[in-house]
Amino acid sequence: MPKVTIDGKEIEVEAGTNLIEAARRLGIEIPHYCYHPGLSIAGQCRLCMVDIEKTPRPTIACNTPAADGMVVQTETDRVKDTRRSIMEFHLINHPLDCPVCDQAGECWLQIYYMKHGLYDPRMTDEKVHKPKAVPLGPHVMLDAERCILCSRCVRFCDEITGTGELGIFSRGDRSEIGLFPGQDLENNYAGNVVDICPVGALTDRDFRFQVRVWYLDATKSICPGCARGCNIDIHVNRKRPHHAGGRRVARLKPRFNDAVNAWWICDVGRYGFDAVDDPERIRFARHGGVDVPLDDALGLLVAALRDHAPDEIAILASPDLSNEDLFALRRLAEQRGIRHIAVRMPPAAGHADDDFLLRADRHPNTRGAETIGLDGDVAAVLARARAGSVKVLWVIQHDLTASGFSPSDVAQALERVGTVIFTGTNENATSTLATLVLPFAAWVERDGTFTNFLGRVQRFRAALQPLGEALAAWDLFSRVLGMLGGTPAGGRAELWFRELARTVPAFAGLSYQSIGDGGAMLAGAPPTTAPEPPGRRAKAPA
Amino acid sequence: MSAPIQFTPAQLAEVRRLQGLYPDKRGALLPVLHMAQDSFGYLSLEAEAYVAGLFDLSPAHVHEVVTFYTLYFQQPKGRHIVAVCHNLSCHLAGAQDLLRHLETRLGIQRGETTEDGRVTLQAVECLCACEAAPMAQVDDRYELNLTAEKVDRILRGLT
Amino acid sequence: MRNFARTDSHTLASYRGASGYAAWQKAQTMEPAALVEEVKKSNLRGLGGAGFPTGMKWSFIPKTHTGPVYLVVNADEGEPGTFKDRYLLERDPHALIEGMLITARAIRSALGFVYIRGEYVQPWRRFSAAVKEAYDAGLLGKGFDVVVHRGAGAYICGEETGLLSSLEGKKGWPKIKPPFPAIKGAFGQPTIVNNVETLCCVPPIIERGAAWFADLGTKTQGGTRMYSVSGRVKKPGVYEESVSITLRQLIERAGGVTGTGRLKAVVPGGGSAAILTADEIDVTMDVDGCRAAGTMIGSAGVIVMDESVSIPEALLVLARFYAHESCGQCTPCRESTGWIEKMVHRIVHGHGRKDDLDTILDVAKRGGGTTICAFYDGAIGPYISYIQKFRGEFEALCRA
Repeated sequence: MPKVTIDGKEIEVEAGTNLIEAARRLGIEIPHYCYHPGLSIAGQCRLCMVDIEKTPRPTIACNTPAADGMVVQTETDRVKDTRRSIMEFHLINHPLDCPVCDQAGECWLQIYYMKHGLYDPRMTDEKVHKPKAVPLGPHVMLDAERCILCSRCVRFCDEITGTGELGIFSRGDRSEIGLFPGQDLENNYAGNVVDICPVGALTDRDFRFQVRVWYLDATKSICPGCARGCNIDIHVNRKRPHHAGGRRVARLKPRFNDAVNAWWICDVGRYGFDAVDDPERIRFARHGGVDVPLDDALGLLVAALRDHAPDEIAILASPDLSNEDLFALRRLAEQRGIRHIAVRMPPAAGHADDDFLLRADRHPNTRGAETIGLDGDVAAVLARARAGSVKVLWVIQHDLTASGFSPSDVAQALERVGTVIFTGTNENATSTLATLVLPFAAWVERDGTFTNFLGRVQRFRAALQPLGEALAAWDLFSRVLGMLGGTPAGGRAELWFRELARTVPAFAGLSYQSIGDGGAMLAGAPPTTAPEPPGRRAKAPA
Repeated sequence: MSAPIQFTPAQLAEVRRLQGLYPDKRGALLPVLHMAQDSFGYLSLEAEAYVAGLFDLSPAHVHEVVTFYTLYFQQPKGRHIVAVCHNLSCHLAGAQDLLRHLETRLGIQRGETTEDGRVTLQAVECLCACEAAPMAQVDDRYELNLTAEKVDRILRGLT
Repeated sequence: MRNFARTDSHTLASYRGASGYAAWQKAQTMEPAALVEEVKKSNLRGLGGAGFPTGMKWSFIPKTHTGPVYLVVNADEGEPGTFKDRYLLERDPHALIEGMLITARAIRSALGFVYIRGEYVQPWRRFSAAVKEAYDAGLLGKGFDVVVHRGAGAYICGEETGLLSSLEGKKGWPKIKPPFPAIKGAFGQPTIVNNVETLCCVPPIIERGAAWFADLGTKTQGGTRMYSVSGRVKKPGVYEESVSITLRQLIERAGGVTGTGRLKAVVPGGGSAAILTADEIDVTMDVDGCRAAGTMIGSAGVIVMDESVSIPEALLVLARFYAHESCGQCTPCRESTGWIEKMVHRIVHGHGRKDDLDTILDVAKRGGGTTICAFYDGAIGPYISYIQKFRGEFEALCRA
């Protein structure tokens, strides 16, 4: 393995590692725009130049594989002067849009100008003008003047999604990023081009003008949109609630995990957090249509479970619940002897695996539910209800009518049931038919773990306080368990996970510590890697 | 008038033949775009999408190629193209005067087409006939050692 | 070496009549390595612009490569002031074909591409007809095939790897190096790109020997070459001379200066070469002679300017050219060629300031050596030399 010296520090790297990556491992940042570890080398921005011993001119680091004995300097006067030149070239035609540009605060022209530029601008001629505020499909906004033509977005559409919608048209300083006129940016991964655009040329339409990024806090989490469990950061706006119309979750960003999603996330997941701040969030418990204090509602729930024979009670649990939630529910059911618990729903029409990350199963914890032993069939439970065998039906989170069951089947089933209890985060057609409703905290408001379809257990974390009197599901189940005479594992999600790991063999040996930020596999499940992007799979060599 | 944007079977056979000459069929893209321009008059977006289909390329990537090269026209052009070189040797030999003369004669500015669709006038970069400056490319031919009189004679011959 | 004066010089019959393809006969009895050696010893240097030793370039093809090797002919002549390749394609196409055959044998190539600029329609027709003649005569198609490919109008396709990208059906964006074309070129395979005229020198070298060719030139560059002479001279045209000729001698050969009759400046090697003043014309017009004089021989396009020529206007013409032809791929060239054109435009039209001149010089210097290809290094030749050597003329136009 080649050994290189960068700024006097030596490091051994795998053959083929480029100098930007080698330097990164030493904690040395070589500034760059067009380079991205998930994309091919472009060598276009010319910012990453470094001095290499025995090479007369500065060389770009992205296209230089570390060679044994190579000696690299990244902070010579010549390198610094070159960076200042390159920054000036980048800013010659760049519009001074900072006051109105969403990228401000996370803009790499701003950041690198402050670090490597700091020259007095001398461009007094008219700048080149290009189209501004051009929608590229439903999620992305293009400002062609701001574009530094690094080509990351073009390479993304070629190499990752394989859809090739974006191109760089014309020549010279009239070069312009764009779509084929009349086409849209319609692949399911469009939002990623906003992440990889170093400047405000490609911005998120959903996030546009919402809030300045320096008011945002980031929390590591897992996307609950499907069974893949892409790693994300939740960006919340706590400091300026009067911006963004009171919306607390400002946006989701992918978090790198080479075992799950690499650098990417699909649009379904990225833009699928509306429910969290929807006005239809359930904040308070309700009985007979009237708000009641939570403790009263809990009492009513426990009474319903105690006053009926266990076989007359059915629970429709949800694969949206975390491992901790589901395990606490299992304990609750065991305490009371309830056997009729179902999790499995028919897949909604039109949902299929896409050719990259998105799974047909749009729930984050189906595998967790199966592994914990709660995988009965919801259709069977509904059939029992329709037959009159169910006196208490506890629906957790589901909107039954949205799940492929016909509204009349559902209505029939619910009619025959004496007491319908609903616990969940958002109102839906089922919750409005329930006698007793209790509020759940949303996934952004609680801690827990999901198990993805390949058996990877990953932590998600609370970024916000729950609304109203909403409780984390495991917390609600915990209290009910206690009121039924059982022993809850404790007042934190982590304590329930420990209990789970002690009880269910597949989880043995796992802990929040071992799961860390990257996740860990269930016992016996082989390690995973992020799938090959369709853009690379499709191309047969010339 | 809207002729269908489609190659004849003979033309399609030629496309296949050209594609077969290159290790990667994409190598035939520039020649086929020339073919398309000759057939359809100019390269509209529809023509670009059509050619893209023949190469399994996204239309955006064909659009990149069409907008990059100066000989591809994205708008209808005149029946004749008069492209006057205005690079260094031709400049020294009076290319600007020639261009102004043509603009007056044709009643258009460089870059435009006469209203009757007869002539598109262009100012272009070095055509590499500097020994015969000033000069122009008129359709497929180089017209050398131009004077105002010569230019007028050439224009009279363009129908 | 050139027989342009033959009637129907472009036909196979005429070429054979002047002992054409005899070199190819001889080459077929020589091993590829011997052919490479011969060309190395001849001191033939690339005649398209870069002046790289041709034999050395051929030897960069990896010896262990078992797949295809491509020979690509750069007939995308576009350097302002240059027109020699046009003459060769129209009047001596078989010299190129014979050169290709010999070169293909030397580098073990079975497939050659001739990339002709799109504007060269008549040369393309002439050359294609010659290729057909060669196929009909069994010269081509027996182990070596030629594909003739028309460009579509972009000066950057004269850059070696820009040409390869265009040949592959893409925009003419030069490729980042390494890898170099001899390792990974057209369609991902080892490729040799040579200029038209360079290949036309190969048959005489093989037929008459490396020593003969080397002796025709200077110590570091062999042979003759075709100088394209234009501008304010009496007899503009193509002049085949030994590379040891001086610029002064060449101008005399072309009949001397017209206009005012007083020489002001000369572009010695195509638009991208640094300009020479009237007292700098005793330079030897070979690769190393011009380099030593702070300019380059490049494509040997000689543009003569007399006292009546406005140097600032000449710079504006070239600044506009570079801004128009920049491919746009990398930032320094894309952004500064357009900006410099604007500044020169302002100066020529009387709205410039003296510190604009320093800005142009500084920006040009900062961009040199930072780009993917040498296009920008070519552009800064005129940006810097015209202003440095004729600064007074520029300052006279400035307001402050």
